[in-house]
Amino acid sequence: MDSANKRYKEIYAAHYAKVMRLCLGYVAGDQDLAKDLTQEIFIKIWQNLENFRSESSISTWIYRISVNTCLSNLRTLKKGAKTIAIVDVPEMIEEQTDADKEYQLALLYACIKKLSEINRAIILLVLEGLPNKEISDIIGIEHDAIRTRIHRIKSQLTKCVSHEQF
Amino acid sequence: MNNFEELASNWKNQPEIKPTEKGFHEVLNGLRKIKNEQRITNAILSSTVVILVGFFFYISGYSSQQVISGISIMVGSLLVRIFLEILSIRKLRKMNALANRTDFRKDLIGYYKMRKWVHFLWTPLIILVYVAGFLILLPLFKANLSNGFYTYIIVSSIVVLVFLSFFIAKQVKTEMSNLRRLQNE
Repeated sequence: MDSANKRYKEIYAAHYAKVMRLCLGYVAGDQDLAKDLTQEIFIKIWQNLENFRSESSISTWIYRISVNTCLSNLRTLKKGAKTIAIVDVPEMIEEQTDADKEYQLALLYACIKKLSEINRAIILLVLEGLPNKEISDIIGIEHDAIRTRIHRIKSQLTKCVSHEQF
Repeated sequence: MNNFEELASNWKNQPEIKPTEKGFHEVLNGLRKIKNEQRITNAILSSTVVILVGFFFYISGYSSQQVISGISIMVGSLLVRIFLEILSIRKLRKMNALANRTDFRKDLIGYYKMRKWVHFLWTPLIILVYVAGFLILLPLFKANLSNGFYTYIIVSSIVVLVFLSFFIAKQVKTEMSNLRRLQNE
């Protein structure tokens, strides 16, 4: 394996999980669609790797490619149908079982899917723990504006998960 | 009642996702596939031109003004269409995936607007010109081919045209819906 391939494999191993999580969030938990999107993102990463300069972190750089790739796959996202209807979700039980965790995640996916595409991108980056400044760089919205927007999306998402309308 | 911290915690505690060797090789295969697709497209385009030119000489088309006009119009319109498609694919590929999302969205809207011109101006024009070229050749087909083959050419051309129009209409619908969604954000 040559050095470029080796470097690429390291990047793939280090960043695969976060890219896949982001894609899963975009397509409401549909594993097949998320895998396809992740593959496309890593192809773009490979194609652009020589343009990467260490001015920003590789992580931010990868998130930019991921968010843009998801945006250019609007049709695929719309067809991501394997989601749960919130009204069909059974009553929650107190104990945190695996099934319950799975249910919570499915509910979260369903609510994220209800957001507009840009808000979906923003909240997924928030959930991944990115600082506002970095999110502002990736999305291309002023820092103050992004802060306000994040506040609003958080509230929408929380309401939705609590079975309220937004 | 969930608060956002709980949601974020659920997000962080989701089942671990591990990269696999197989997944990595699938990405490498995806890269190879893209390169192969480019080679296949080039091969198809080159062989189409070779076949058309070969056919032209085979039927001694250069001796008839009618054949020259018909084939030139058909080939010309096909070439314009191919050129527009290549231009679109290049524009899409050259789009800066490293830009921030706001700039990338503007580029994407620009791309779909260009496609709008292709779909609503160029494509109908190209189809009309192509059909005109075909109609110029039709009397020659009738005079030189058997009745059965002549009917076959007409029927198959209509089928191809209907199929092509259906395919193009589907593509236009998808792309225009993407444009609307991007603009309405």
